[in-house]
Amino acid sequence: MSELSSIREIEEALTTLRHESDPPDGGPTQRTSSMTHIAWVPARWVEAATGTLVGLAERHPSRSILLFPKPDDERDALEADVDLRCYVHRGEHREVCSEVIEIHLCGARSSSPASVVEPLLLADLPVFLRWRGPVGRSEGERKLIGVADRLVVDSSEWPDLEDEYVYLAGLFDEVAVSDIAWARTLPWREALAALWPDVKEVSALRVAGPEADGTLLARWLSTRLGRNVSLTLDPAGEIELVEADGVPVTPTRRDRESASDLLSEQLDLFGRDTVYEAAVRSLTPASV
Amino acid sequence: MTQVAENAENPLLEGLRRRRTPEPCALTIFGASGDLTQRKLFPALYALALRRLLPESFAILGVARSEMSTDDFRASMEQAVKEHGRDEFRQDVWDQLAESTRYVSTDFADDPGEDSVIACLNELDETYGTAGNRVYYLAVPPAAIKTIVTELGERRHATGWTRLIVEKPFGHDLESAKQLNACILEHFEESEIFRIDHYLGKETVQNMLVLRFANGIFEPIWNRQFVDHVQITVAESLGIEGRAAFYEKAGAVRDIVQNHMLQLLCISAMEPPIDFTAESVRNEKVKVLKALHTPGPKHVVRGQYGPGYIEGEEVPGYREEEGVAPDSMTETFVAAKLYVDNWRWADTPFYIRTGKRLPRRETTIAIQFKRAPHPPFQLDSADELRPNVLNVHIQPDEGVSLGISAKVPGQGMTIRTVNMDFLYGGAFRTGLPEAYERLILDCMLGDPTLFTRADEVEEQWALVDAMIAPWKRDRPGFPNYAAGTWGPPASDELLHRDGRSWRRH
Repeated sequence: MSELSSIREIEEALTTLRHESDPPDGGPTQRTSSMTHIAWVPARWVEAATGTLVGLAERHPSRSILLFPKPDDERDALEADVDLRCYVHRGEHREVCSEVIEIHLCGARSSSPASVVEPLLLADLPVFLRWRGPVGRSEGERKLIGVADRLVVDSSEWPDLEDEYVYLAGLFDEVAVSDIAWARTLPWREALAALWPDVKEVSALRVAGPEADGTLLARWLSTRLGRNVSLTLDPAGEIELVEADGVPVTPTRRDRESASDLLSEQLDLFGRDTVYEAAVRSLTPASV
Repeated sequence: MTQVAENAENPLLEGLRRRRTPEPCALTIFGASGDLTQRKLFPALYALALRRLLPESFAILGVARSEMSTDDFRASMEQAVKEHGRDEFRQDVWDQLAESTRYVSTDFADDPGEDSVIACLNELDETYGTAGNRVYYLAVPPAAIKTIVTELGERRHATGWTRLIVEKPFGHDLESAKQLNACILEHFEESEIFRIDHYLGKETVQNMLVLRFANGIFEPIWNRQFVDHVQITVAESLGIEGRAAFYEKAGAVRDIVQNHMLQLLCISAMEPPIDFTAESVRNEKVKVLKALHTPGPKHVVRGQYGPGYIEGEEVPGYREEEGVAPDSMTETFVAAKLYVDNWRWADTPFYIRTGKRLPRRETTIAIQFKRAPHPPFQLDSADELRPNVLNVHIQPDEGVSLGISAKVPGQGMTIRTVNMDFLYGGAFRTGLPEAYERLILDCMLGDPTLFTRADEVEEQWALVDAMIAPWKRDRPGFPNYAAGTWGPPASDELLHRDGRSWRRH
């Protein structure tokens, strides 16, 4: 790891690292990239974001750019570290490497993150932006979202769900969106779909789980059935129970997926999820 | 019902990625005590169970002559999964799979044996709700297939579907393949028969179709105008590994050329299918087989390895292997020049070679393009400009590499060939599924796209029979290559005569 203060220094450091990682007596290190993965990580999410990255880079060889905004920092500076995380490929003597760039955006530098990121994007490959916490609304943050092909959020990280969903719905025509809370509901959506046609007349859903997960499940059911399905929510850390009109729903899969797994799945997706968008849009004032 | 129709009926299905989960069924493995079951089938079933790809209602019945109890069989398979599985071992997943596993020790030719198998399957239907749906996996020697198929045909279950997976070798020549087809078709429909060639289940083999038909840059140059020739190599560093009884009868041509190699040739040479349905894909492959020109004796080279060195270790020659006749004339190496007589490939040779005890294990398809017509550079030697080669690595390092010429940095104009590599595991580090996982799942789903159709097998055998017919008349001086080398000198001469050479490995 090294401390760098400009994009040029970052690029040079990456080149040096790549050369250093070449095996002394063999061929060059394999460098296969499938995307640029950007993570916008405000201070309170640093630990969670770093934890999620473990295991992710191995599954998605990419250039990962972790942006740590520090708008309150007195300095107007960019501080970066670069790292090459290499994994020995099964049955291979060569290593496959992913680049991880951590950039601390201090002071005014945090207001225009897109201009920092754009020179570092891998040409012609998709850009995924994982946004920790509520999605940014400033002009600079909107520009960063504009750089991405897919915005990945976890609405369970939001303090004010309704307001955030309304704002997110306004972005749907600009960028494809993944919501990890929505991904977590997949086994329950599959289970409810499997109950068709018995589930056709359901009018009330009871969910013991995170508010975001429960809300999305209820809005999904409402938009799919074309009528309102009420939600009774018992807050819990993860979905523990779903009842449709008092009848327990059993998911086909009960294994809890890790944060890395859930994000990893979203990085395999391209295009818009119109079913999710409809569920979220139904929360906007025009729809309610 | 189509997915659109299903979604219209059930609006909750829209947007849900439909996982390929088969209908309830019981899988019966004949030859359950064998090596294939331990090394491949059970590890594959465990991998499918771990990924929740098996049906909710599922059961396994192992059938073999070896005397053992169900508990012994489960313990043996548990060990096999631990040793040969590609995933971490999870006791809960295994316990669930083992719980619905049974074993019946029997010689299937005996009436009581047949009845005990059927009785066990009926019990599994009742206990696990497998609904009379049956997959029979025939991992048995060819001689046993006819008996089993006949008995199964006579005991078809009144309800549910039946599918039959038949392992290679499917016959030993055209006549026996026809007889086997006729025997099976007497009791089963073609749509119920899944002739397995595990090469087709390999991700990289399927990726060959994607490479060709999903990339706009390759297909326009994938023809005689731009391709100089194609080389297909299936090399093994292993010997016969105690399979003398089988190998003495089969040899390299029946073991590898008739099935794996011709499949690789077909997917390299076939026209784009109109869709990826089983019939469309297999129709195109059959067209290639029909277009294959029978090679003359000068275009086929056979060899047998003598003593030599593999990875620094001295290894015996084929005739010194246990169970092999000291004067055996079985070939352990075959190379051939084949032509696909059609508009796309006329006069473009497809060189194939396969052998045992070659220097390394490797399966590749190399598409060698024609040289640049006029190099404008002043070079010391015209040989410095090498043709572009697209290498599709099937195993062991799955991926694709393209050899291109690049300028060596510095003064002057020195040109060197460099490889642009796409390493499968480097871009998609999810762990490639084993071929058997894909194929067993496809069979349970009733999708025969990656299985061999009756007419395909017969076309393969017709070519092989014609290739080896002249072998009855001459006796080459075997052994004619040392273990650890790339086959007999005649193999190199086959290409040198055309001004070409085998790729360097």
